[in-house]
Amino acid sequence: MSKPIFELVDELPTNNLTVSMLNSLDFVAPGEWKNIVGFVNTIKAVTGETDENLIQAIGERAIYLYNDRSQGYQRAMWLYQTVDRTDKALGAAALANKVGEKVPLLGFLNSLTPKADKAQTIDLCLKLVAELLAFCSINGIPGDSIGDFVASLGEYSGESFIRMVALVCVDGLIPLGSDFINKGLSLLNQTNPQELEQNSTFQNIQDVIPGNNPASKLNFIGESFDSVKGWMNDLVVSRDLTPQKVASQLQNLIEFTGDKLDYLAAFLDVATNYYEHTGTQTLARRLIERAVAEI
Amino acid sequence: MNFKIRKIFAVVLLSVLLLTTACTPKQPGRFDQVQQESSRQKSGQAVAKSATQGGEFNKFFPPAEDGYQRVFTQEKKGFAEAKLKKDGKEVAMLAISDTKSTPATAASYANSTKKIAGYPAREIGNTQTAILVNNRYQVKVLSRSPSFTASDREAWIKKFNLDGLAQLK
Repeated sequence: MSKPIFELVDELPTNNLTVSMLNSLDFVAPGEWKNIVGFVNTIKAVTGETDENLIQAIGERAIYLYNDRSQGYQRAMWLYQTVDRTDKALGAAALANKVGEKVPLLGFLNSLTPKADKAQTIDLCLKLVAELLAFCSINGIPGDSIGDFVASLGEYSGESFIRMVALVCVDGLIPLGSDFINKGLSLLNQTNPQELEQNSTFQNIQDVIPGNNPASKLNFIGESFDSVKGWMNDLVVSRDLTPQKVASQLQNLIEFTGDKLDYLAAFLDVATNYYEHTGTQTLARRLIERAVAEI
Repeated sequence: MNFKIRKIFAVVLLSVLLLTTACTPKQPGRFDQVQQESSRQKSGQAVAKSATQGGEFNKFFPPAEDGYQRVFTQEKKGFAEAKLKKDGKEVAMLAISDTKSTPATAASYANSTKKIAGYPAREIGNTQTAILVNNRYQVKVLSRSPSFTASDREAWIKKFNLDGLAQLK
């Protein structure tokens, strides 16, 4: 049996490298994300209700909804967890540093292998696809028109927004550079289905990506990337984001030099799980919003 | 003698200690029971098979109006929800749900004396006002900002196409 939703939310860390990294990206969207952990805390924060009996009833309905597999919530959780499989041992080693001390990247260089640009592009795209699929699993396809649907996608706020900010910064700008959108598009165009099939994340989630074969799944991945490139570009332009700006924020947590951005990206990839962390928060919020409306 | 008493005392103390520490069952959490109940079957326990598709509800939601924007946020079987924003800020949530999946919700209207637009109504907690249409569909408005009061909630409930919803089979 999979873990109960209340345990997943209760066990979210209040402070680790993932949380520090997300906090350091606060400069992109000041105050947008608060690390709300704990199931009951989340119920209180989302609904504004304080009565214990009411909180119990909301929680119980949310648990029922999560455990009903036909509702797609468990699939969304699985997607968030699966695209974010971290190297827990390395993450733990990174945290072995004293509280308040920066993590020296130098100490991990030997155990890190920066990804080739193409592999990094595939990873970035698969995270985007997972987001799109998880969104639909959680929320359905809201509204009666394409416009309604796009508007509901545009409503990304809080933990959903910071997840997308982290995606752009940590999986886009840092490893691929300031031109990561065009670079990604052109690399994706040069990717063939066989290369896609070798990607381990793809192997894990391919069954839920629309398409009958790797070629058509690759097509879907390309279309997904294409459909969000405008949004990503707006974010980069409107906040004037550059790899250097992001790197200088991250230098508050991790000690590295500017010529090691590819190693920094490889390190964050294995030492953090921001998709799983904020995905759990998004899922809990949506479940609770539905539960409170249904009781 | 004294030694024997001390020995007995030690044994008793030790067994009490073991009993209270090792044998005390883990305090059950407040959600453990419902977790157990709701995991007995894999699917269908939360949402009734016969529940109306959420997409059927969309057309009964109040449209956007002066200064207010309406953004649909969820559409699941038996449930649809939209966010109400004013000047870009979230002020309330609007929802319709099918109580086929939640009979306890429908039952809770049995004692309600309040009516809104002729339908039995409930005020719940600090933030919620709801009615039950045709003994089946719950329309609920939830405040997300202190400026959105109970009377605002009531006014927005009346803006739904309630007559239309009452015809839905």
